[in-house]
Amino acid sequence: TAAAPRPWRLFGAMCLLRLPRITQPLEKEEEEMAALMGQIELEKSQYSDHEIRKLEEEENLRRRKESMYDDDEAPGKTVIMAQDLEDKWEQKLLRFKPAPRITDADKNNNRTSLNRKLDRNLMLLVKEKIGNQELWLLPQVEWQPGETLRSTAERAMATFLGDHIQAKILGNAPYGIYKYKFPRAIRTEDNVGAKVFFFKAFLQSDDLSQAELKKDYLWVTKDELGDYLKSEYLKKVNRFLLD
Amino acid sequence: IARISPHALSSFSSSWLPQAAPSRGSHWQTSLLTARASLPARAQPKKKKKVDVKKEQAQKDRMKKKIRKLEKAAPEMIPIEDFITPVKYSESNRVRSLPPLSFEETERRVLLMKKWCLFKQNQDKAEKAAIQALVEAQQEALKELRLESEELYQAAIRRDEGLFPFERDGPDYTPPLPGYDPPEGKCVDITKVYTQ
Repeated sequence: TAAAPRPWRLFGAMCLLRLPRITQPLEKEEEEMAALMGQIELEKSQYSDHEIRKLEEEENLRRRKESMYDDDEAPGKTVIMAQDLEDKWEQKLLRFKPAPRITDADKNNNRTSLNRKLDRNLMLLVKEKIGNQELWLLPQVEWQPGETLRSTAERAMATFLGDHIQAKILGNAPYGIYKYKFPRAIRTEDNVGAKVFFFKAFLQSDDLSQAELKKDYLWVTKDELGDYLKSEYLKKVNRFLLD
Repeated sequence: IARISPHALSSFSSSWLPQAAPSRGSHWQTSLLTARASLPARAQPKKKKKVDVKKEQAQKDRMKKKIRKLEKAAPEMIPIEDFITPVKYSESNRVRSLPPLSFEETERRVLLMKKWCLFKQNQDKAEKAAIQALVEAQQEALKELRLESEELYQAAIRRDEGLFPFERDGPDYTPPLPGYDPPEGKCVDITKVYTQ
């Protein structure tokens, strides 16, 4: 019934995920299997044009070495052999230096940077003052009548990161809930406790240089959440996070 | 300068009526017409017209019949190029010569396959359990929301139209190199396109 006063205050919180940018390293079984698949493919295959050319050239070279005075072609002729091509390609590969998988931020353990742990999901945590405690939690904002919970979560994201972030919110429905009762000191009949509804979003833009982060923030992986969140809160948050 | 009206020109080609007395003063007659006035032309142009029309009609009918026959015939099958091995790959010199597998090797392979089977099964079970946990958490949240307010609940279970189609570039092996200038080149697509 709409008229009955609701004793719970509603909050909308946003779990902003930065998706992985590089692949995770293979497990031992996966590596062994990949090697086996390569071997089987090699056994079942036939010679390619390049390989046939290589074999023929090796034959010719061997024959010419055995019969030294049987030069069909003038020795001054430069013929590009398949082996030379392969060497050239090898050299070219070695000259290319890709970006490192383990970045500087990884080495310094700079938890405020987005370039850390490129193969895992990173979540945004902010420090908030609740009651008289400073707590680390997912950015949240109180629900105001007239808006849906999803827009509350969007507002929470905007208050902490500014308006210019592009994030894809996954649906209108909340992913999890954390219910807590206020300590007896401030509990009243109308104000028993609070319900925090979590929403999930994927971060689309890679750089947040335009974002004005006003408070202390961190980007952490699922395993590192335990360092910052309280146990009850952590339990509820872990339920809707995939690693 | 001869000013011929289009009407006069068409009438000249299709049905030529001899002018009684072409007067030089009339502006719509040309010297050409006056020159041809002497030709005995009554019967021939008319034959030409009929025969032409009949021939054209016959041609059109033949074309229509051909089109109908082609349409009725079953559409030609498009060959799947992947399933047709080119002839040059069935030559015998292409066969690879490798030493046969030893007993230990085959044993190792079989055991590895079994380990892989188990590994994948565990991975699948873990994925399914994770998804199940996700769904449960969401159901619980929606239940609590419903207790709070029906209107918010209805807004939450509404379908999000902007979510799909959802596109994302998958992760690569190395992160993008800042300031990398890829070499110039053009990719020419030589796939054969068949039309039925």
